[in-house]
Amino acid sequence: MVNPIYILILSLVIGFLLTIIDKAGRKLSLFFLYGVLSFNVAVMFIWFYQFAFVGRASLMIHTAGFIAPISINLKLGLLEAFVLLLANLAGLMSAMFLFKKLKETHISGLILYLVLIMGVNGLVMTRDLFNMFVFIEILSISTYALISIDENKRSFSAGFKYMIAGGITSTFFLLGIIFIYYFTGNLNLDTVLGNSSMLAMKTGVFSIFLLIVSIFIELKPFPANGWALDVYQAVNSGITSVIAVVNSAAILFVFYKILPLLPDQYLMVFVGAGIVTFLFSNLIGIKQTDPKRLLGYSSIAQMGLVVAAISYTTKLNISQDLVFIMAGGIFINHFLAKAGLFWITGIIKRSEIKDWGILRNNTPLLLLFGVLLFALAGLPPFPGFWAKWEMAKIFVSNNLYVGLAAVLIGSLFEAFYLFRWFGYAIKNERKEESLKPVDFSQLFPVAVFVLITLLTSVWIMIRVYAFDLINFLPVAAVFGMYLLNFLKAKLKAVLAIIVVILYGYSIYPLETALQSLFGIIFVIGSGIMIITTMNRKGKISGFYGFLLMMILSMGNLIIAKSFLSFFLNWEFMTIAAYLLILRGKKGQVPALTFITFSLAGAYLMLAGFGFMPNVLSSNAIINTIGSIEIPLAAMILLLLGFLIKSASFGLHIWIPGAYAEAEDDVTPFFASIFSKTGIFGLLLVAISFIKHSSEFNPFYWLGWLGAISAIVGAFLATFQEDVKKLMAYSSMSQLGYIIASVSLLSHLGWISALYLTLNHFMFKAMIFVAIAGVIHRTGTRQMYKMGGLIKKMPISYITVLIGIIAVSGVPPLSGFGSKWLLYSSMLEKGWYLQAGVFFFASGVSFLYLYRMIHTIFLGQLKYEHQNVKEAPIYFLIPQVIFIMGIMAISMFPNLIIKPLNSIVGNYFASTIMIDGYNVTSSLGHWNGNMVMMVTMGVFIVPLVFLILFNGRTQKVKQFNIVFAAERPESPQTTHFAHNMFSHYYKALGGLTKPRIQNFWNSVSEWSNAIAGLFRQIYTGNGQTYLLHILLYIVVLYIFLGV
Amino acid sequence: MSITTKALYVIISVIVATIYGLALNGVVRKIYARVHGRFGPPVWQPFIDIIKTHGNNVAISHGIMYYLGPVFRLAGGLGTYLFIPVIFGSVVFSNFSLAGDLLLVMYFIFFGQLGMALGAGEGGHPYSPIGIARGLAQMTTFEVPFALSVIALAIQYNTLNITTIVAAQQGSILNWTLFTNPLAVVAAMISLLGMNMHSPFSIVLAPQEIPIGPPIEMNSSFLATLQTNRGLFGAAKLVLFMNLYFGGAAHANIFVALLIMILKTFIIYMFSVFVGAAYPRFRPEQSMRFFLKWPTLIGIASILFVAYF
Repeated sequence: MVNPIYILILSLVIGFLLTIIDKAGRKLSLFFLYGVLSFNVAVMFIWFYQFAFVGRASLMIHTAGFIAPISINLKLGLLEAFVLLLANLAGLMSAMFLFKKLKETHISGLILYLVLIMGVNGLVMTRDLFNMFVFIEILSISTYALISIDENKRSFSAGFKYMIAGGITSTFFLLGIIFIYYFTGNLNLDTVLGNSSMLAMKTGVFSIFLLIVSIFIELKPFPANGWALDVYQAVNSGITSVIAVVNSAAILFVFYKILPLLPDQYLMVFVGAGIVTFLFSNLIGIKQTDPKRLLGYSSIAQMGLVVAAISYTTKLNISQDLVFIMAGGIFINHFLAKAGLFWITGIIKRSEIKDWGILRNNTPLLLLFGVLLFALAGLPPFPGFWAKWEMAKIFVSNNLYVGLAAVLIGSLFEAFYLFRWFGYAIKNERKEESLKPVDFSQLFPVAVFVLITLLTSVWIMIRVYAFDLINFLPVAAVFGMYLLNFLKAKLKAVLAIIVVILYGYSIYPLETALQSLFGIIFVIGSGIMIITTMNRKGKISGFYGFLLMMILSMGNLIIAKSFLSFFLNWEFMTIAAYLLILRGKKGQVPALTFITFSLAGAYLMLAGFGFMPNVLSSNAIINTIGSIEIPLAAMILLLLGFLIKSASFGLHIWIPGAYAEAEDDVTPFFASIFSKTGIFGLLLVAISFIKHSSEFNPFYWLGWLGAISAIVGAFLATFQEDVKKLMAYSSMSQLGYIIASVSLLSHLGWISALYLTLNHFMFKAMIFVAIAGVIHRTGTRQMYKMGGLIKKMPISYITVLIGIIAVSGVPPLSGFGSKWLLYSSMLEKGWYLQAGVFFFASGVSFLYLYRMIHTIFLGQLKYEHQNVKEAPIYFLIPQVIFIMGIMAISMFPNLIIKPLNSIVGNYFASTIMIDGYNVTSSLGHWNGNMVMMVTMGVFIVPLVFLILFNGRTQKVKQFNIVFAAERPESPQTTHFAHNMFSHYYKALGGLTKPRIQNFWNSVSEWSNAIAGLFRQIYTGNGQTYLLHILLYIVVLYIFLGV
Repeated sequence: MSITTKALYVIISVIVATIYGLALNGVVRKIYARVHGRFGPPVWQPFIDIIKTHGNNVAISHGIMYYLGPVFRLAGGLGTYLFIPVIFGSVVFSNFSLAGDLLLVMYFIFFGQLGMALGAGEGGHPYSPIGIARGLAQMTTFEVPFALSVIALAIQYNTLNITTIVAAQQGSILNWTLFTNPLAVVAAMISLLGMNMHSPFSIVLAPQEIPIGPPIEMNSSFLATLQTNRGLFGAAKLVLFMNLYFGGAAHANIFVALLIMILKTFIIYMFSVFVGAAYPRFRPEQSMRFFLKWPTLIGIASILFVAYF
């Protein structure tokens, strides 16, 4: 076993010798540099292995032949070894990244680099306060010098500010040391800790405060961090990455070491300061367009969060495992992702995120970028996700609600700017010179860090949370499909269907019929819908993987056994949906809106789950939730989260863009299947609520919200020209029906909710697939540009016709059943006015449905569509399947009513009677089969009559119509389509104002304006920054309240 | 009851209603003519029209949906009529009311409208969809007071079964909904004005702007089918209103009961006719706004009245 002190010794010796070695050539110097750095990594790896897996006790290293406190001592335990392994690895990788730079630069660059890494090692291991000061100085000085490795004005200026700030904090640190020595007569950390009672008085606390705050300032808290920001932007990416992660890791560890000196009651100041830093840095981050500065803000924010996590866990004295997951998770997440992203900025060298479209030319690099960015955004399965999960639980259990809110809002800001960046990288079409081939030396470090990120994630999932393998499937599907990328799209589609079938088979049989119902929608429905995508040609990379990810994670929702597993799959689903939307041609902005809203929903849910007890059950959560009482606050948070997914009124503005701009064969997945996950979530909460009802009933208000969604969605749909937006708003409206009927919390209400769910799933799927076929053939989404397509695409027309009859609730198709159930259940419950609103909404639905079918299929055929053919067979197959489904449940309503009756019977006493095909509620009756028979009868009689007794039927050509004194000129001027309901628009007056859109626009504007306001504190003036530091220390001391 | 007997009853019921409906239309044309100061066509003119249009040699068709449009329309009229029990207590006139309740009738009305709208749409004439767009838009608004009024009935009688609603109004004239829940009746009668599409709500067929609107391309038997439906469907609506608000038609003697039905529905219809003869036409948006204002408030008031007082 190599004594770690050799790391320090070797670094120093080689560092001094490098000037001589360099005479023999740079290659030799580099050999020694990389040799030492690799040696460091190897030593730390061995020690880490010993501590973590062999169970060795911590190592104390004494120097100068004396035992501490007489001499300086070093300590290497599991934590130190872990941090140093990462730090040294990052050091080595950064050096590798800087290979070209180090080959050219002055030899002092190499020496400084080596010294810097040595400083980090010393800083982490030392247990002596003064020695810490020395190492901080070593670290700082080498950093200042390295900042100027790119010899330009900006880096010099940045380095200077850095140095000044470093100087002042060191001064405070030294002052603190002097005081502590004065009070305790010692500078050995362990001894001082042992005698901390000697520091309990005011001046003692003050001296500790000086010590800690100077370290804290080094971690760049908001707003005393102007001096550091320029560094991120101005300096070479390889160095920035070292400063952002390696230096920070060391300083953070010092903070962690000395924090216990401060009595517990004062720790909250640092929790608060950390959270404030996190929130505000991320807020300002949304204004950034330079990727390095953006990452700089993110780094500062993340360090703030780690500080908060460390301070809070130290204060609470909670179990070490949780500390590792929470503080460690954020730390390692930040460490790996940030280093990797900074390196990538060094490869891409574009100082505007808008120019990052160039990244698309290099798929492997793009993938690495994606993984790191998703990790940084705190999405699963990466460590940051688990950290936030535990953080929410801990914050909630200690009533730190404001803190939790700030952390979640900050996270949302961060996700927003990261995904905006990602969107530019994926979507922005820029005809620039192609990306130069990336050097292996630059790609390798990134790849290594991505690999470690992934391994850590898997390790956490298996070792910490002991997840079933099924929870890995969504991610595994992505990788699997990536490996099979060389296959043709059709083959991949077949493969995807097989995977979905196998998955369905593996989860079958489900525990309850409720699960089976959603299983049919999520799994079988998706399987059928994949057929549509078989029309794609070529390889279509990066599609089927994400599609499978979405399908499998939706399936996992219904079998999730714990809240964590539910939430994990919920997030997987969101990620997959985001990436699928982003694939659309103009998907960039809608995808960003979608992910922002979805993550807002996810954070609300995260907070909500924080209130929930841990569930350890071998049954699915949907079946056990009845025995769990959800606190009211949690219920509201969860409901809000689910409502965002169901595009409820007020939270609906993501829906038109996301549905419209997703690829045409993907939209059906969203509209008919994905939207039901929100409903599943609502049921989850509702099942608990009915078993543990409280005085305040949020579902009453939810019922109104559903009603308003229904009517507003219908209005909005009526005034769309874009067929996909029309159908998107129609979904919002229809989901409003479902939300309200779930909220009824009654037997009939839930039957209608589930009936509506199934019905909506089928008709929305068939309409959207038919529309996809039309768009595929005509190349436009604007309805007024179509017309008369009934003669060209008769099957699609029939599908849409049956679809709209099912939507509108006209008998005899299944839609009427849903309307009958809905109104009966509303009246039964006494929700009269809500029922009135639904009547109105259902009337308005005729407007948009007629508009859709008329302007596309009826009226005048355009000249350019004379040669349009019926949609491809792959579009027709799912349509026919769903038509058969709709017809089956319309003819034989018992196929669905009876199972639903028994499902809902588990939660409420039955209030309906089923006798043959006759369903009787407390208010009325409905015999679906008889309605169908009568309808067929009354339809056939006039038809036969007309066929028999009509005169000679003569078919005429287009334009052969009865115009008086006018002549139809062209299809464009004869087809009544554009702005079809202008009179209705006028009639509605003020109701048509886009108030919600305006509201969210102002939220966005205000966030930007506030961010801009706070950004102004960064004047770029070093003196101002110094003043900030001084004032900050004073303010923090006041808050300390000693 | 055997299927043949039921079929026979249904045929009788339908024929009676169609003849009555067409005759009613004839009377109304006469009344309008007199108001305008003309002599007017004979009362049996609608029958002559149907026979004449049916006798055309050539029927112009624009396609399958166009062909089916009138079929849908008549099927809608037939269905709507057949799901309503016409004479309280009569087996012959009970139709297929066992298939569903008031909600079924309300939604079956759309069946014919939707089919006709699609058929007319395939005709390719711009006036058809203009008329339909107006009609549908107006429909969404007059349905609101009507739906509210129906909800008030459902609260009042605790059922949506039409036969039960009629049964509850028997005994005395004071048991009619007209007297027990006058607000609901007012709301419903105003929406009936819209349903019947007489002035001021005649924006759909608006002769001077979009000559007769949706059926503009319809000719020969197609038109005859629509004209037949106009009689039947009109009668069906009036019977529904009679059942819901005016005590229905009940008498031990079926002919007396039919007379009561004719008398009541005639009076109900005259309300629309009088208003229509007296008022000029609204513009589309005026018509729509109208229904969303006072009638809707009255409808809400009727619900509050029965639910909470």
